[in-house]
Amino acid sequence: MSIRFHLLLALASAVSVVAATSSAAQAEDKTIKIGALLPISGPGAYFGTQDKQGVELALEELNKTGVNGYKFVIHYEDSSCAPLPATQAAKRLLEQFTPDVVIGEECSDATLAVMPLIEQAKVPLINAGSSSIKVTDPGNPWTFRIMPNEVMQGVNIAENAYNRLNARTAVLLFENTNAGIGNAKVFNETFTKLGGKILAEIGFGRDVNDFTAIATRVAGLGKIDIIPTYTLEGQGLKITQALAQTGVTKGGGGSAIQLGTIWLPFGFEQKAGNAALGYIRIVQFDPTDPRPLVRDFTSAFKAKYNADPTHINAHAYDQIMLIADVVKRGGKDAQSIRDMLAATKTFSGVTGSVEFDKNNQNDKMDTVHYMETKPDMTWTSLKWN
Amino acid sequence: MTVIVVQQAINGVVVGSLYVLVALGLTLIYGVLVQINFAHADFVTIGAFAAYFLMHLIGANYLASIAVALLVGGLCGFLINAAVFTPLRSSRSELLPLIATIGVSVMLQNVMLAWLGPIPYAFETPYSNQVIRIAGIFLTWQSVIIIAVATTTIALLYAFMKFTFLGKAVRAVSQDRETAGLMGINANHLIMLTFVIASALAGMAGAMLAPVLVLTPFAGTSVIVKAFAIVIIGGFGNVEGTILAGLLVGLIESFTTQYLDPGLIDIVVFGLLLLMLAIKPTGLISERREENV
Repeated sequence: MSIRFHLLLALASAVSVVAATSSAAQAEDKTIKIGALLPISGPGAYFGTQDKQGVELALEELNKTGVNGYKFVIHYEDSSCAPLPATQAAKRLLEQFTPDVVIGEECSDATLAVMPLIEQAKVPLINAGSSSIKVTDPGNPWTFRIMPNEVMQGVNIAENAYNRLNARTAVLLFENTNAGIGNAKVFNETFTKLGGKILAEIGFGRDVNDFTAIATRVAGLGKIDIIPTYTLEGQGLKITQALAQTGVTKGGGGSAIQLGTIWLPFGFEQKAGNAALGYIRIVQFDPTDPRPLVRDFTSAFKAKYNADPTHINAHAYDQIMLIADVVKRGGKDAQSIRDMLAATKTFSGVTGSVEFDKNNQNDKMDTVHYMETKPDMTWTSLKWN
Repeated sequence: MTVIVVQQAINGVVVGSLYVLVALGLTLIYGVLVQINFAHADFVTIGAFAAYFLMHLIGANYLASIAVALLVGGLCGFLINAAVFTPLRSSRSELLPLIATIGVSVMLQNVMLAWLGPIPYAFETPYSNQVIRIAGIFLTWQSVIIIAVATTTIALLYAFMKFTFLGKAVRAVSQDRETAGLMGINANHLIMLTFVIASALAGMAGAMLAPVLVLTPFAGTSVIVKAFAIVIIGGFGNVEGTILAGLLVGLIESFTTQYLDPGLIDIVVFGLLLLMLAIKPTGLISERREENV
């Protein structure tokens, strides 16, 4: 009896140890692995640096308590804003980290390059910075975009330029990339349809440094109302300064208004100096938005980084918060996260709201905010959308 | 129409002058060492950042920052040559120093990346936005400084090479290192001098280019490919050819932008390079190899 009792006791202990080990292992396993493909080097590195800040803030907040018992871990890879390094980074990420969900890239060419790899691995990809229509058209079941695509942005910018700024003539400046060419094309089509006239379309490579020759050509085109410009920050600064030097834009005493996209970070105006006067551009985040969510984000960001958040910080923060929202609704692995993402209807982030259409494109336009540079190089929100 | 042609010609000369300053260092080193220096781009970047920090942290005058960038570039050249290239030259291998220049380039870029970060710096000088307008032509004071400094530098370099003992000795080493040694010329010292001059030119070019470039740790690499093309078009090791080719490339860029498309600049420039290699591989100004530099 006694031997039997001891055997039973030993068995029970063994079972409980196995159960405890298994439950500990389960607790350890209750993590959502987020892979991040961000441009940390190269001309788009400012995106990656600022994305990382937004991501880290969101993870810090979420991991205090977890979501549905899940904690979040992240692994960053430098995708460099270009197709080749992006595909290499994506392969490393998928093979070595095996993420449940991936965020990134910022640049359209890089995003388009990694999409087939991520689709093949059956992992959902959440994109917040690539504007090329090809990212969500004709649609990829594993890719979701929370920002408006080039068609949504381009149509909106062209309509506002024509109707609110009374612009009738335009010169298009754009980098020769999928996003640059695509954005310029949409603007051209919409603006022309409305009755406007495109005086010139000038594309350039990312290796162009001196924009004086381009500005000279623009200056010789006659009266220009607006100059929609699609480029990254570094070249954007040089273009703005060159256009001012030739006296074409308001910043140089002319009358043309430069129009920009969400590619430019906050702080662009201060770097460009007086040349940026009158520059109107769209951003994904309006810090003057009175919603408590935005106020909380802004103060938490200031407390952590001693700086005001930019729209890049904000859209990265929203990417992580959207994943948390999906986990809250029952997402626990790549497949269920994908399915829950597709069913997203009421997510409200600091940049705006998210509801995906049949192509997994967020169809809400409240993430587009217009801002104008004032004479003191600060900016004002135009509240156009 | 005439105004635009004149304006684009001026734009081309300004950009071309900057290219010449970068390419001269490359051609000097090739002339003396018969070696391609891939790290030259990074001396340009270091010069640009030296000028940036001198102006923005200490509040120094831009012209003074150009002089300091020249010294910083020269110092970098001295240190890298002493630490890396001089020991490798004794190996008598042509490949090792070439690979070393790539290694030094990657190392310098990554040190700058770790230290300075990847976000572009905005380098404004008081002269960038001061515009002179005459009869529809515009020119910033920055452009005037670029042309003036480039012209002076080229003239001084030319005078140094042609009329000073050291310059003649450098030319002697470039023509025949062993015979120059038999004449009592210390080739190693002159190679060091050439390296320092070339790197100093790169540093100074960096300070001049900084307001034009998108200033990141990779800034120099964006001009170095064109500088290599200029050196080939002008004739490797040929100073006069390099000057002519630099100005030509600057003008090609401006007029391609005006009358064709900026997206075609590289096609035109590198098309010219291929054409030169095919029909006149010695470059624009033909000289026997022995007479280079």
